[in-house]
Amino acid sequence: MGEVFLPGSLREVFDLLSGEPEALLYAGGTDLFVRSSLEEGGGKPLVCLERVEGLKGISDHGDEIRIGGCTTHSELIRSRLVREHFPLLMHAARRIGAPAVRNMGTIGGNICTASPAGDTLPPLYIFDAFVELCSAGRARRVPISEFITGPGQTALERGEVLSAICLKKDHGCTFFHFEKVGQRKAMAISVASFAFAAGINGDGMIRKARCAFGSVAPTVFTSSNIDRCFIDKPMDEDTLRQAALLVRSEVSPISDVRASEGYRRSVAGNLVMRLEDLVRDTG
Amino acid sequence: MTRKIFFVLNGISVHVETDPARRALDVLREDMGLTGTKEGCGRGECGGCSILVDGEVKLSCIMTAAQLEGKDIVTIEGVCGEGDLHPVQRSFIERGAVQCGFCTPGMVISSVAFLNANPSPAREEIREALSGNLCRCTGYQKIVDAVEDAAKKMHGGGRDG
Amino acid sequence: MKDEVRQFPGGPRLDALSKVTGREKYAADYYSGKFLWAGAKRALVPHARLASVHAEDALSLPGVVRVLTYRDIAGSNRTGIARNDQPVIADEKVRHAGDAVALVLAESREILRAALGRVSFDHEPLPGVFDAEDALKEGAPRVHEDNEKGNLLRAVTVRKGDAERALDESDVVVEGAFETSRQEHAYLETEAGWAFVDERGVLTVVASTQTPYRDRSEIARALGLDMEKVRVVAPYLGGAFGGKDGINVQCLLGLAALHSDGVPVKMWWDRTESFLAGMKRLPARMYYRLGAKMDGTFHGLSCRIYFDAGAYATLGGEVMAMGAEHAASVYRIANVSIDGYCSYTNNPIGGPFRGFGVPQVTFAMEQAVDMMAERLCMDPLEIRRRNVIRRGEKNCLGVELKYSTGIGECIERLMEHPFWKERQAWKSAAPKWKKRGIGMGCMGHAVGYPSLIPDQANTRLDLRSDGTICLYSGLPDLGQGNASTYLRIAAAILGQDPEAMELVQPDTDHDLPSGTSSASRTTYTFGNAVINAAQALRDVILGRAGTILDISDPGRAVLLPGKVRDEASGREVSLTVIARFLNDEERTQKGYFRAPYDESTIGIFYLGAHLLFSYGAHLARVEVDTVTGGIDVIDYVAVTDAGTVIDPVVYDQQVHGSVAQGIGLALTEDYLVSDGRHDTTGLSTYIIPTSMDLPDITSVPVETFEETGPFGMKGIGEVVISGCLPAISNAFHDACGMRITKSPLTPERVLSALARKGEVGK
Repeated sequence: MGEVFLPGSLREVFDLLSGEPEALLYAGGTDLFVRSSLEEGGGKPLVCLERVEGLKGISDHGDEIRIGGCTTHSELIRSRLVREHFPLLMHAARRIGAPAVRNMGTIGGNICTASPAGDTLPPLYIFDAFVELCSAGRARRVPISEFITGPGQTALERGEVLSAICLKKDHGCTFFHFEKVGQRKAMAISVASFAFAAGINGDGMIRKARCAFGSVAPTVFTSSNIDRCFIDKPMDEDTLRQAALLVRSEVSPISDVRASEGYRRSVAGNLVMRLEDLVRDTG
Repeated sequence: MTRKIFFVLNGISVHVETDPARRALDVLREDMGLTGTKEGCGRGECGGCSILVDGEVKLSCIMTAAQLEGKDIVTIEGVCGEGDLHPVQRSFIERGAVQCGFCTPGMVISSVAFLNANPSPAREEIREALSGNLCRCTGYQKIVDAVEDAAKKMHGGGRDG
Repeated sequence: MKDEVRQFPGGPRLDALSKVTGREKYAADYYSGKFLWAGAKRALVPHARLASVHAEDALSLPGVVRVLTYRDIAGSNRTGIARNDQPVIADEKVRHAGDAVALVLAESREILRAALGRVSFDHEPLPGVFDAEDALKEGAPRVHEDNEKGNLLRAVTVRKGDAERALDESDVVVEGAFETSRQEHAYLETEAGWAFVDERGVLTVVASTQTPYRDRSEIARALGLDMEKVRVVAPYLGGAFGGKDGINVQCLLGLAALHSDGVPVKMWWDRTESFLAGMKRLPARMYYRLGAKMDGTFHGLSCRIYFDAGAYATLGGEVMAMGAEHAASVYRIANVSIDGYCSYTNNPIGGPFRGFGVPQVTFAMEQAVDMMAERLCMDPLEIRRRNVIRRGEKNCLGVELKYSTGIGECIERLMEHPFWKERQAWKSAAPKWKKRGIGMGCMGHAVGYPSLIPDQANTRLDLRSDGTICLYSGLPDLGQGNASTYLRIAAAILGQDPEAMELVQPDTDHDLPSGTSSASRTTYTFGNAVINAAQALRDVILGRAGTILDISDPGRAVLLPGKVRDEASGREVSLTVIARFLNDEERTQKGYFRAPYDESTIGIFYLGAHLLFSYGAHLARVEVDTVTGGIDVIDYVAVTDAGTVIDPVVYDQQVHGSVAQGIGLALTEDYLVSDGRHDTTGLSTYIIPTSMDLPDITSVPVETFEETGPFGMKGIGEVVISGCLPAISNAFHDACGMRITKSPLTPERVLSALARKGEVGK
């Protein structure tokens, strides 16, 4: 079996990575050791990021919120800043796994795993999150939609660590909705998920709308076509029916052991229909 | 490749010399002889291997031995005080929450952590708190009853009682 | 004995303390000194001719001790109950993906895993057969060339009256084809054990098993040992539900221990291996036709049922036969024709699973009953009440029900339930996007073995020289609490505190063969044996106490915790003193019981008929989400006739657990295999309910008094599960006005059914 490193600072991480370029980075282990159990690791050195100081914590930077890459889902859910500015992200995090998984899994891990079913991803797309990537020599910020390049694929370069997620506060939305369709109510992997944020005028007309879907395309699915079809309309059955039609025609799901392509396609559209009542309920 | 890993196990400082990439679960069961922590899946999917790490529930089957370093670890064997059962354990016995018992250690661990943070939970909150601990015998009902009962024992009142 | 029920000592289960503290030692928890890990290389191909196994690469790994193949087996290399058809390690052929092709012994778990990856084998793939009906067609690939009937493992027929004519005479005939899924037991403790050859040269196998006595003979035969040279010990199990009814690790472990140079060997299947190699509930396809007269009287039933046994017989044929015996559910039908077939395929191995064939047929029959009620515009409970079988009437085999039969009362109890009476109001209060429905299912389940198989038990109670009382169990405790119940039964009769008594778990060295821990018989059959032993010991103790205390009338002496008291004089003597006045033979009392049987039924049905049944009637309230197709079970009522409730906690544990597995079976549980390859690989793709997926369950006992049962009880372990699938399916129909005849009722099946009627998002 291999070595396991527990660096305490980013400096140490970079030093380790320069000495062990084959090393696998992990934070909670809820993806790495679930996909292939620890014993199948192949003997590569492991670098556990759970104790790296610079990767923890959620902080307020005036116009944006910065979430450390190793922030656990439980910490996201408990965070006052997240609840206040990005309740959608909190709702999505609450639907991940179960308490122990949320105590271990991190938002950075969820992003780097780049699964189309990653539950924190649709809200991050909606809020145009940036990921902050650090390596020994430099730091860069990349929009999440550019960082995730395919299922399980990211623009993370060798020697880089996802250090933080940055979210702008002025998203202009006041209505939020997240729904996850899984095979059960906990410990479930999304068969389809739908995140929605909107700004609605006093007269009930939609000023701004953003939709993002999980598990219905190779990566999180967003579409300006769909977002546009809400603008200057009320959240009524007609609007939603149109949006649902567009959704069903634009998504590109696959069939797997959890659900068929056809089911994912129709459910993705159906989930949009549910907004009608929710808006009415929130007044 | 082995190294010495130092941690606190059920209140006692211990160290173990082992391969750091072994599973924490195996170190606890094989090296420390604490077989109360169970393996039901090895993939973080069943909760049987739940332990407390600095008071938080974690899954020892997806933790490396290295991650035990410097941590305060509590297993089912360390949940009770000197000789006394933890109120959660007493309630599990009294309320018939135990059948085959294989999920029980993980259930107790999850319940203890949950009740420490939520003194008077609603039934639905208990169901959520235990949702990562699969049980195939009980249908969960008597386990939820037991946690409600333990909340009353520990804090003198559930939400509706 | 009715009065003694009131004295039945209550209190928590006696095994709860050791389990809740993590101290209970399961078969998976043995680690001691120097030992080896054993593990099987699995074929992963569904059907192939096996050429050669390559071990060199694995053996070159430091810490790998042995790689064994079938050539290292001295015995028959075959296990099996009804047929001796399953190799310990595959020799000529691989018949399903979970077959073992080699056995590796290594110094650690980690080395074992690495070594298994280095074992390879040459094979010639063969075309496979993956459907129970296809398997019976001409030209289908043969799974077992030596089976004279091709891929037909077992067929049974039932003919009573003239079903075809009765269907012609019926005013209404409903028909349907129904299909059920392959359900995985998913016990939390995967298959595990520990084995060693002791100083006497006896191979000792400690295993998580329901069947220690039968395992002993299977191990001996397969490995070529004398029965006297094999010992099987069964600690508490971490769940079984039928899935550990037979050989899993036992023979592999035994083989490993015979080649470990005296070092103990540990085997513990991981979840993937447990899924690959373990047994599953047999999937079934069933074609039903039910005919009734205009007044609702059932007149004729004709059905054909096909069960998929997978690659090996285990008890698959018997599961199918049990299904056939229960195919008419709980109704009196004059004309019945049942044809049951069980086929070999290259699918995962089928085997016993709580319900033993009955959940499958009940799914079909109870939906047919609802279809009939709808056609006749009758209340679905009323049509059931009208046709339900009562004591003294004959069931679908023509066997008279001579014992307690409380299904009529179960249905009547449901009719009175507020959920039934207020069903219209509840339905019409459905929130947006939801449709609500209420459904019911009735079921019976035989207790014990069929008449041809002696259903017997042996136990032993010792009054030790220190005055403590010790009970020897012959039947493992899978988690249902029978061990605790045995102690309580003995304690009730002996007037003792059960917590002061000791229970010794099954060990073939104690020579108390008691059959298997299965068939809803553990408390019924073994409990009766305990009663007999306890009464014998009571008589011995009281007799000797009478002498010691000089009591002229032994009737005045009473057993109290730790002592005997003469009520007349107030004088007492402790059990420790009494024990000193008894010789070893007197201090050991045995108990035997054989359950009622009827040899005259052996001619009418395979293995003869069952005589005694438990019953139930269920009601489910469900909400169907028309957006996602998800079904939520909102409320669940389970009315059960399992005789007297001797321990309400253990009773409800069985009800709750069965309903949980039944809801899983109805909504999500489907072990997926495509052309013999396993698509389901773990607990994230095999979906059992979490604590958030189940409602609180209302358990309503209907306490008939079963004269032959301990304190009036009869088996409760299995009956309950069979009601869930029909209750939920019928509730779905009630909600949406359409039927899904293939289980589970997944969101996907629901949504496409809704789409066909244009009901999505309504």
